Amino acid sequence: MASKRSSVFAAILAMTLVAGALSAQGKVTLRLAWWGNPTRDARTMQVVELYMKLHPEVTIETETTGWAGYWDKLGSQAAARNLPDIIQQDYSYITQYAQKDLLLDLGPYVQAKKIDLSGVPDTFTSGGKVDGKLYGVSLGTNAFCFLLDSAALQKAGLEPPKPSWTMADFEKMANAIYAKTGVQTPVFSSTDPKVMFNDWLRQNKQTFFNVADGSSLGFSDTKLLVEFYESQLRMLKSKAMTPPDVSFGQTTPDESRLTKGQEWNLAVWSNQVVSTQAPMKRPVLITLLPRIADSKQPGTFLKPSMFFSVTKGSENKEEAVKFVNFFMNDLEANKILLAERGIPIVQKVRDSLKAMVDPLNKQIFEFIDLVGNKNSSPIDPADPAGAGEVLKVFRTVDQEVLFGQTAPQAGAEKFIKQANDILAKNKK
Amino acid sequence: MDSNARAIARPRPRQALADNLAGYAFIGPWLFGFFAFSLIPIFSSAYFSFTRYDLLSSPVFIGAKNYAAMLRDSVFWKSLGVTFFYVAFAVPLRLIFALLLAMLFNRKSRLMRLYQAVYYFPSIVGGSIAVAVLWRRLFKDDGAINSILAVFGIDTHISWIGNPKTAIWTLILLAAWQFGSSMLIFLAGLKQIPESYYESANLDGAGSVRKFVSITIPQLSSVILFNLLMQTINGFTVFTQAFVISGGNGDPMNNTLVYALYLYQKSFSYYEMGYGCAMAWILVLIISIFTALIFKSSSSWVYYESKEN
Repeated sequence: MASKRSSVFAAILAMTLVAGALSAQGKVTLRLAWWGNPTRDARTMQVVELYMKLHPEVTIETETTGWAGYWDKLGSQAAARNLPDIIQQDYSYITQYAQKDLLLDLGPYVQAKKIDLSGVPDTFTSGGKVDGKLYGVSLGTNAFCFLLDSAALQKAGLEPPKPSWTMADFEKMANAIYAKTGVQTPVFSSTDPKVMFNDWLRQNKQTFFNVADGSSLGFSDTKLLVEFYESQLRMLKSKAMTPPDVSFGQTTPDESRLTKGQEWNLAVWSNQVVSTQAPMKRPVLITLLPRIADSKQPGTFLKPSMFFSVTKGSENKEEAVKFVNFFMNDLEANKILLAERGIPIVQKVRDSLKAMVDPLNKQIFEFIDLVGNKNSSPIDPADPAGAGEVLKVFRTVDQEVLFGQTAPQAGAEKFIKQANDILAKNKK
Repeated sequence: MDSNARAIARPRPRQALADNLAGYAFIGPWLFGFFAFSLIPIFSSAYFSFTRYDLLSSPVFIGAKNYAAMLRDSVFWKSLGVTFFYVAFAVPLRLIFALLLAMLFNRKSRLMRLYQAVYYFPSIVGGSIAVAVLWRRLFKDDGAINSILAVFGIDTHISWIGNPKTAIWTLILLAAWQFGSSMLIFLAGLKQIPESYYESANLDGAGSVRKFVSITIPQLSSVILFNLLMQTINGFTVFTQAFVISGGNGDPMNNTLVYALYLYQKSFSYYEMGYGCAMAWILVLIISIFTALIFKSSSSWVYYESKEN
């Protein structure tokens, strides 16, 4: 009796040990967070499932939100020391997160080829470096572009613009299209009005933020900003531009005036072209931003659209790195992702995609080639602390001027003063 | 008998301990919630308000600098102005709607229960995304409101939500529409007023206005005080509606940037948690002042039966 009981006991003990060993050996849980849109979410989930099928020992939990809520959530998670293992990072936040010691230096992993970036030029990876260390690998290359509704141009009997078109051409075009078809122009990049003005500054060989320490703006003369306002006011006066109360209120591509055929252009990042065009269901053109009068250099730049970073607090750094490598290099995975995050930086991935993408994505590939081929200037350093608040002031003053409550000159002075007040705290 | 009585009067220490433990066990969940989600956050927020805290790294003590910075922050004053404007119109409007509807429903009829439920509904769904979408559709440039106005020959093409002059009014209207909980409290108050008062007023030949002013309002005054207090506090802390309708940025030109929304932006979007906490304490101060003022004034307009005797 006693021996029987003890053998049962031994069997149970053995089973427990085996089970324990199994679970200790395998079963890694990784948390992956990104901001996105429905298209990106679906494709990323598919890649995650593919990865889990190939690596049954890994479970990946995903967290996704829109852009706005993402940084709020990530900030709270950082405060609670509960960041996911892999986070999607942005050029404007990566410095802040890296300097607070929250991100893992991926340099050694790249050197050991655990993340295989062989043959990728420095220009594609340097955006992820802070103080010489690599804190994020770029998931794609991006550039700001103008998306035009081909049908509206045709109806107005206009030719597609040349890459060298100017702001004067643009205004003429806007007025002509409005006169012939009643289709309007939105206010300049209404979701983030700074992006287009930044392009103008760069054409003038200036930067938005002071490059040295970000303790002030990079420009102090009001001339260009006043012209930015006045150009829009002229088109508002001729009714070629959508009034600001309507223009600023737009939310999703589904409901946008571009989709409804009430506007003929939108300034977007090249990786937003697909989701912007999707509800339109008609052909679009993408082209460079117009040049300002006496433009000194191209204002457009190639930007790492977003990064994957591994967090320093992760308990499974090796496994996290493995997944990042898969995401960057696996052809099957990238056939699912279809360059939605931007044009991939790994050559063989880019080549395999180029052969299979649809006409719209082909246009985007060609556009990035066009930008890379003498139509760009180097990217500015990442935004300093306080940038978010400065952009909010830019938007507020922009609205004040376009609603006619502040004169352009007064608005420009007001913005420069308020922005410098915010940035002054960066002085060391 | 004797010993039994003594046992009840003075329980043995052990049993007392057991009784107490059982008691604490029963209020345990509440105690946990109170400490974890109220008391500790209140104390930490008081401490954070004296620090520079960017969420990503540990807070640094900086004394009263956050409070000093507020005085120079033009957006802070703007958001304060927006909030006062909102409270000044949203609270009275909501109370008036609530009282009118409560009087309408204060009858004996089977359908009244249904009506009450229907009119309470907006208060439940008020903070949801669905309502924000509905509100956007109603007040857009090509929304339902403009279509209805067009039927009457009024041709407006403005977006009520995007226009700087009208944007805040869409929020105030939404608040007025969510009168449900105040309405229920008014309704309970109305049912407490003895029917005999109205009967004797009828005998004296009083009209309905006279009855409303001389009976309903005084009899209801303590309920009005309660609703006024609760809704004023609610008004100062309004967040969700402003957040969803303006897309979280207080558009246009910060004209719908209510205090709590700015507090949220500072804390979570700009990573200035210390400043956000300081703002929260200023809000506590403002609400305390208004509550005190309302209480102080109440002695001159709230009618308590007991005082009469």
